[in-house]
Amino acid sequence: MKRTLLASLLIIVLIPLLAQNDEYIEIGVIEKLDQYIPMDAMLVDENGDTVTIGDLIDKPTILNFVYYRCPGICSPLMNGLAEAMDGNDLVLGEDYQALTISFDAREGTFLAVKKKNNYLNLAEKKEEVKNGWHFFTSDSASIARLTEAAGFRYKATGNDFIHSATLIILDPKGKITRYMNGIYFLPFELKMSLIEAAEGKSGPTINRVLQYCYSYDPEGQKYMLNITKVSATLILFFAAVLLLVLFFFRKRKTKNI
Amino acid sequence: MSSTNTENTGYKSYLEEDGGRKGIFKWILSTDHKRIGLLYLYAMMGWFCIGVVLGLLMKLELIAPGKTIMEAQAYNATFTVHGVIMIFLIVIPGIPAVFGNFMLPIQIGAKDVFFPRLNLFSWYIYVLGGILVIISLFGNGPPDTGWTFYAPYSFKTGTNMLPAALGAFVLGFSSILTGLNFIVTIHRMRAPGMTWFKMPLFTWTLYGTGWIQLLATPIIGITLLMVAGERILGIGFFDPAKGGDPLLYQHLFWIYSHPAVYIMILPAMGAVSEIIPTFAKKTIFGYKAIVFSTLAIAFVGYFVWGHHMYTSGMSGASLWAFSLLTFLVAIPSAIKVFNWISTMHQGSISVEVPFLWAASFIFIFMIGGLTGLVLGALATDVHLHDTAFVVAHFHFIVFGGVGFAFFGAIHYWFSKIFGRKYDPSWAKTGWITFFIGFVTLYGPMFYLGIKGMPRRYFDYLDEFHGPNIISTLGALVMITGFLIILVNLVKSARKGEKTSEMNPWGGTNLEWQVPTPPPLENFDEIPVIDKATYKYD
Repeated sequence: MKRTLLASLLIIVLIPLLAQNDEYIEIGVIEKLDQYIPMDAMLVDENGDTVTIGDLIDKPTILNFVYYRCPGICSPLMNGLAEAMDGNDLVLGEDYQALTISFDAREGTFLAVKKKNNYLNLAEKKEEVKNGWHFFTSDSASIARLTEAAGFRYKATGNDFIHSATLIILDPKGKITRYMNGIYFLPFELKMSLIEAAEGKSGPTINRVLQYCYSYDPEGQKYMLNITKVSATLILFFAAVLLLVLFFFRKRKTKNI
Repeated sequence: MSSTNTENTGYKSYLEEDGGRKGIFKWILSTDHKRIGLLYLYAMMGWFCIGVVLGLLMKLELIAPGKTIMEAQAYNATFTVHGVIMIFLIVIPGIPAVFGNFMLPIQIGAKDVFFPRLNLFSWYIYVLGGILVIISLFGNGPPDTGWTFYAPYSFKTGTNMLPAALGAFVLGFSSILTGLNFIVTIHRMRAPGMTWFKMPLFTWTLYGTGWIQLLATPIIGITLLMVAGERILGIGFFDPAKGGDPLLYQHLFWIYSHPAVYIMILPAMGAVSEIIPTFAKKTIFGYKAIVFSTLAIAFVGYFVWGHHMYTSGMSGASLWAFSLLTFLVAIPSAIKVFNWISTMHQGSISVEVPFLWAASFIFIFMIGGLTGLVLGALATDVHLHDTAFVVAHFHFIVFGGVGFAFFGAIHYWFSKIFGRKYDPSWAKTGWITFFIGFVTLYGPMFYLGIKGMPRRYFDYLDEFHGPNIISTLGALVMITGFLIILVNLVKSARKGEKTSEMNPWGGTNLEWQVPTPPPLENFDEIPVIDKATYKYD
């Protein structure tokens, strides 16, 4: 157990390196930005019904792979996700959704429902979590297709798995738009990545402004204030205002006459 | 020299109006645009002398290969401080701050600028910027980054780079506020009847310059703040190790600094456009062409910054586009040259000192401009980038352009400003000495650059020795000329023959229709303009 936890933590630290530099890694994440997940992959939902993932994805989606018996980083990952979802002002279930999928084909619906109930009890926005955060299990073939398409690689060690802690952001068509690694997520960054996944179309105007002012820094894997763009806009705005005032408000100052 | 107006005596000139203040306070607390113009002039004279000495030290170091009078580090600091002083404290504020302040309100028939207090405040900011530059000379030693403060070295050097950059940042505010003041003054305070196309060309160039100051200068401010953030907080905007990009710095720097070349040169062109018709006694050829070429330079000048970065690493398409735009911006500059020459054609030219400066400006500017095209072409630039050729080109444009126009302008408006005459024979001696020295100083550097001598090194190969000796001798001749000019002007301003002749050159603009020196508020009554300027009988 200790070894598993230690190995998992090590992986978290190494993810940024592994994710970007090594196509042949055994465990971790290979970023497959702009690629699509297989929309016909089969999942079993909390009611025991079989659905395709394509049936579910109709809005920006946070996808994450865990296994429900996990003694390691799965719970910290999901706690981090729950906190970030609680902390941002987008409405879970309306503006976006979260799909948690077990990559252990031996696990069944019972475990998925139990896990969901845990988070339902802990969450502040219970109604949103109920409607917007869904827990699934699946068969080994579908799990393999999904995890491979998402670049999520893990390895079985005895009864447990070594794997990374990663959120995968999908657009409404199932395209991978962002990876967020780690177990702590800033609500603002989660919000920005969801707005970006929605291509700025579904969010209110302020979101588009945010998207204009912040750009993603793939090196640091976070959103940065795009200082040059914002400054240039401000400069041009004030210059345009001055020009308009000078040309269209032609009050001659009396002090000169 | 003609005298078309009668002498005017029964009034108090701006030099006699002290606002009840004594000593230095009648200067540093005055909001009179004319006094503020002179405040800038005196400050710049001091800075210029320092800059000249630093330039001379560099030329002395380069008189022979190896160490001559200073070590490499001292040389690096010398060219950096020389550049910072000359660019940020002299040529950028230069003509607009001195002659723009003095002449703009008079040329448009106004009593002052629109924001007189802001005008004085701009001067204080200018002084503050200068003080920061002085501070940078002490402590860890003067900055050694070059005046461009290129990243990543600029945030790694142990020298006092930050105060110098902060100085440039503060000076930027002075520039912005002056630009804003001029724009609003031109829009709001033109005398009745002075339509846009009756405005003097010097005023037009100040207008174009004002917009560049307003739009481009904030960019350098933000950029220098980013450098400060980099040095103090280690943010990593320009540090590749933190995901930053040093090229971003170069882009940001030149997005400002190339338009800044036009901040320098446009008012110089304006001053020349005033001098030429006055001494050719002929209406300026193609008034509107000059106006539109001014605006075209101001506009296109924003889109050519990349030509400073051909070898820095850009896409082929970007290189191609920047090169094309660079060639395009040469067109309006050439239009002006054709207009000035056409104005002189068949004119009744009187070869006075200001005219000599203006004519030599055209000569020098043409060489500077044409060598600029050599650098604007992609293939030749790869060969000449960062060589002495660039230094020569730059000085032909910036020093030759602004400097010659500045000296022309001060000789042209001298009696109007000070109410005294300078000694014309010493002025002519100063001009010819300066001109010969200038060409001898910078001419060989074109050759050295073509032969491959890099810039910004205190040492060079033996094969470059000969032209470097000529260049250093040229510097000594030029400085002799400068001293003759300076002594003549300072002496004349203090003790020269008094004059109240309103229009000694027979000019047609409003500044020649006010008393010499002008009264505090320039006009007793705001004039009504009923005919275009530059009309000679």
